[in-house]
Amino acid sequence: MRNFAGALALTMTCALALPVFAQETPVAGAVKEGSLEGKTLTFVSYGGIYQDGQVAALQEFVEKSGVTLLNDGPTEIAKLKAQVDAGNVTWDVVDTADLPPYVHCGTLFQKLDFSKLDVSKIPPGQVGECSVPAMNYGVIFMYKTETYKDNPPQNWVDFFDTEKFPGSRAIDGSGDPTGGLIEQAFKAAGGDPKAITPDDIEKGIQKLRDLGPDTIYWKTGAESQQLAESGEADMIMMWTGRAMTAAKNGAAYTPVWQDWLVVMDQMTIPVGVKDTDAAYALLNAYLGQRSQEILTEKTSYTPIHMDAKPQVDEITASFLTSTPERIAQGYQQNIPFWVENFDLAAEKWNALLSGN
Amino acid sequence: MNHHPTEPQETIVTDMPDRPALLKRWRPRGAVWLAAPAVLVLLLALAYPLAIVVVRSFTDPAPGLDNYVWFFQSAVNRTVLQRTFVVAAWVTLVSLICAYPYAYAMTIVGRNLRLALILCVLVPFWLSGVVRTLAWVILLQDSGVINSFLRGLGLPPVKLIRTLPGVVIGMTQVLLPFMILPIYSVMKGIDTRLLQAARSLGAKPWRAFLQIYVPLSLPGVYAGAIIVFILSLGFYITPALLGGPRSILLSSLVQNQVLSLLNWGRGGAMGVVLLVATFVLLAIAAPLMRQKHSSTRREA
Repeated sequence: MRNFAGALALTMTCALALPVFAQETPVAGAVKEGSLEGKTLTFVSYGGIYQDGQVAALQEFVEKSGVTLLNDGPTEIAKLKAQVDAGNVTWDVVDTADLPPYVHCGTLFQKLDFSKLDVSKIPPGQVGECSVPAMNYGVIFMYKTETYKDNPPQNWVDFFDTEKFPGSRAIDGSGDPTGGLIEQAFKAAGGDPKAITPDDIEKGIQKLRDLGPDTIYWKTGAESQQLAESGEADMIMMWTGRAMTAAKNGAAYTPVWQDWLVVMDQMTIPVGVKDTDAAYALLNAYLGQRSQEILTEKTSYTPIHMDAKPQVDEITASFLTSTPERIAQGYQQNIPFWVENFDLAAEKWNALLSGN
Repeated sequence: MNHHPTEPQETIVTDMPDRPALLKRWRPRGAVWLAAPAVLVLLLALAYPLAIVVVRSFTDPAPGLDNYVWFFQSAVNRTVLQRTFVVAAWVTLVSLICAYPYAYAMTIVGRNLRLALILCVLVPFWLSGVVRTLAWVILLQDSGVINSFLRGLGLPPVKLIRTLPGVVIGMTQVLLPFMILPIYSVMKGIDTRLLQAARSLGAKPWRAFLQIYVPLSLPGVYAGAIIVFILSLGFYITPALLGGPRSILLSSLVQNQVLSLLNWGRGGAMGVVLLVATFVLLAIAAPLMRQKHSSTRREA
């Protein structure tokens, strides 16, 4: 992945240059009538309201193309690896977390052919060699409004400052380390995240450890929401979708948007799928403007089509991350760094999460 | 486990001297094939995958002992392995303390009350462990039912959730039926006339209970303890939801290696270490149990 930036630039250039040569240019969201009659595609995502929303976003694609769409999930990279190793891949399009398509590009996930996709309306910097974004969201922290009445925390550095801002913290311990959080912890420890080195990972983790034994590491999004709604911690790191739901349910917390961590789910096509072109057709339909509007209206996640204008209520709108103000406040983690140091970061993270 | 309940009965019942002979006559040839369906399922669903796990732990990613060297070199793994056994021991002990009097009560109360007691054990048993664990979250958390109650009384709150005691409480409740049912099934087979006989020979009630009843109930205790201990070793959901970083058990680390890091060899090695450690512990406990058992028989 050292050449990640180069490859990205190359693929983007190809994608932009191709319309000149290609006979038939794909347009995001466009579906050929009856083109997939009699075919079956299996779409894999994380279930719940999210996957329901994705299926709703794909409804027009299913009706027009005539494809039979099956749903499976939740996404587990281990299951996908088993399928690829066994040479029997039944998952055609897979929604994954941020990093897996970069870590397993070319081995588990196909290098995408961007002559078959219209990625022109995706926000810049989000298309990978093996992935297009599935949606955007953010990782923010919310503070208990009552605890910090007059002097609320302003950013992640305050989050890590337990002297100025005493109180308990809750952190995402649901799985892989969040690179952006470790970068912010490193910054709070006096480092410069722009120049982060593998040795600095431990410094960031130590800053997390210094938060003390009262720190809660939540295991699921639902748990983080439950913590907020019952007021269990003074500052809670949350996914924006869960933060919004907690806010709607009356959690007395205030979100902090400065340096919110930009996160996206990825759409991928595994290596060895039976009908690659059908999978591309699904991806291309998913990237369409109307599909993305439906996705946001159903799930409250941010659309990845820049022209999308979803109709949502006020609270949902306040948690969307695509407004100019939010884009200016966002913090993008160093993806190539975390891909390269994935194992080291995971090892240190697991040590932290098992009390060591 | 099923043979335990009947054994003391066999030794106690004396008015059927020809029973072993009767059993012998009733043993048709090829009866072993009755076990075939179960054996087949075990071979396919347990032995085969387990064999793959063991093989992978020595071959993935490269042949050798690398995965085991890694396991024992990591302080995290050693700490968590030790913690897993300590938690399992606590859960077994607390379950036993709760289950023994409960099972005893089930044998001495009237029919309707017994039915109610059995239902109290079985109904939670039918509920999903996740649901029960989440209920414990609501009870134990800092802003939860127990602490609100304490605050209402003007008492200081107790830290229960995300502590080891919290995990032990939750796991005990989930595993309690596995302790109560084997103990009860042995206890209900104990001939209470033996207690009366002891009393008539001059033993005080507590002595008759400790020397006659308790030894006779031990097979159930052992069966329950082993089941609870072994199930505890593999617990995942409850420690994950009720525990903090200092109460994570080994299964969570295995899950991490297998599902998140795709280090199937390392995950396999962790599983094998846990399995072997369990066998070693059972091997140590087994002679002890046999000894007690035979002494029970002699006394009976």
